Amino acid sequence: MNYSAAVFLSIGILLLLTIAWLAFSGTRRRPEAARKGGPERECLHISSLPQIKQALANSDFIYLEQQGYPALAKRIRKERRRIALNYLACLRVEFEKLLHLARMVAVMSPDVAVAQEVQGLRLNLEFSYRYYLIYFRLVSGIAPLEAIGGLSNMVSALTIRMETAMSELGEQAALGAELLPHNRGLDAGS
Amino acid sequence: MQLALCGILIYFRHFRKLPFFTAYVCLNIAQSLFLYLIYLHYGAYSHTAKLAGWWSEAITLLARIFATLEILHVVLIAYRGIWGLAWRLLATTSVVVFVCVVAASWGDAERALMRADRGYHLIFATALISCLALIRHYLIRVGKAYKVLLVGFCFYSCVKILLHTVLYDSLYQQRSQYTTIWQILVISPYLIVLLFWGAALLRPLPKMREQQAVLPTSLYRRISPEIHLQLQAINKKLMNFWKIEEPQQ
Repeated sequence: MNYSAAVFLSIGILLLLTIAWLAFSGTRRRPEAARKGGPERECLHISSLPQIKQALANSDFIYLEQQGYPALAKRIRKERRRIALNYLACLRVEFEKLLHLARMVAVMSPDVAVAQEVQGLRLNLEFSYRYYLIYFRLVSGIAPLEAIGGLSNMVSALTIRMETAMSELGEQAALGAELLPHNRGLDAGS
Repeated sequence: MQLALCGILIYFRHFRKLPFFTAYVCLNIAQSLFLYLIYLHYGAYSHTAKLAGWWSEAITLLARIFATLEILHVVLIAYRGIWGLAWRLLATTSVVVFVCVVAASWGDAERALMRADRGYHLIFATALISCLALIRHYLIRVGKAYKVLLVGFCFYSCVKILLHTVLYDSLYQQRSQYTTIWQILVISPYLIVLLFWGAALLRPLPKMREQQAVLPTSLYRRISPEIHLQLQAINKKLMNFWKIEEPQQ
C-alpha cells in the first residue's frame, strides 16, 4: 500500500469514527461541566467564601512547617490542590455558561457573523487546551503552591465580574426578545 | 429495497416535504433499470456499458447533493443565521477538500474515474460531517428521521472511500474477482442504509418549525463581541496562571 492510499484510508476511518460519534452521542442540552452539578453548586458560593481564600494563604502553610507539623502541612497541601481543582472546575463552568449564551444568541439571530463565530470557536479550543494543561499539572503535583494561592483570587474576581456581565447580557437579550413580534422562544438546547 | 423506500415516501407523503430526496431515490431505481438493460444489450464489460454506468452515476451523485442540501435546509430552516453559516461552511469545506483531492490524485489518468468518485465521496462526507458538527455545536435538535437520512448518506460515502482505497490497490489486477467483490461490498452497506432510511421514514416527519430568530441583528452584533471579550479575559487569566506572583506579605 502506497503513501497516498494510507492517507485516504486513515481519512476514511477518521470520518467513519466521527460520523459514528455524531450519530450516537446525541445533542448536548446544557454545558457539560454545568450538567454534572457538583462544581456549579460550589460556584454559586464562590464569591462569598473568604474562609477558603484564608485557607489558601501561603503564610499558614509556612507557619505549620516552621512549627514542626509536617504531616499537617502535607494534608494542607493536598487540601489546597483539591480546592485549586475545584476553582478550576468553577472557571470552566463560568466559561461554558458564557459560551452557551453566545451560542444561544447566535441561534436566535437571523444574521450571524462568521468572524465572530470563528473567534468563539478559537477561544473555546484555546480554553480547553489550557484548562487540561493546568488540570494535569495540578493533578500531577507540578503546580507551584504560590500559583494555587493566586488562582483563588483570580477566580473570585472573575466570577463576580462574569456574574454581573451575564446578568446584564441576559437582561439585554430578554429585552430584545420581548420587543419582537412572534416571539416563540427557543427550542434549541432546551 | 429501493422500490420499498420509494413506496414509503409516496405512501406517507414524505415526497411533499422531501421532493429532492424522493427524486434521488427514484433516480437510483431508474439507474438500476437503465444499467440492467444496457448490460443485457451491450454486455457488462463493453465500452458503452462503462460510459452509461459512469454518466448515470454522475447524475445520481448530483441528485444526492441536492437531496442532502434539502434535508439540511429543512433542519435549519428555523435558524436563519445558522443556515447562513452552514452553507458557507459547506462551500468552504468542499473547495478546500476538492483542492486537496486534486493535488493528491494528479497525474494518474488510468485511475481518473475511480479517483474522481473517491474524491466526490471524500468532499461529500467531509462537508456533511462539518455541517453536522456545526449543528451539534449550536445545540440544534435534529429530528430523528432527518438525522438517520444524513448519517446514512455520510456512512455510505465513508464506506466507498475505504473500498476505493483498499480494494482497488489489492484486487484490481484480478478483474473478475474484483468486480464481484466490489459489487457485494458496495451493495451491502447501501442495503443497510436503505433499511435504516425505510425504518426512519415509516413515521411522520417532524413538523417544519417556524423561524426561530427572535433577536434583532444589532443585538447580536453588540452582545456577541462582549461575550467574546469576557471569554478572552478568562483565557488570558488562564494563560497567566503560572505567572501569578504571591502577594507581598
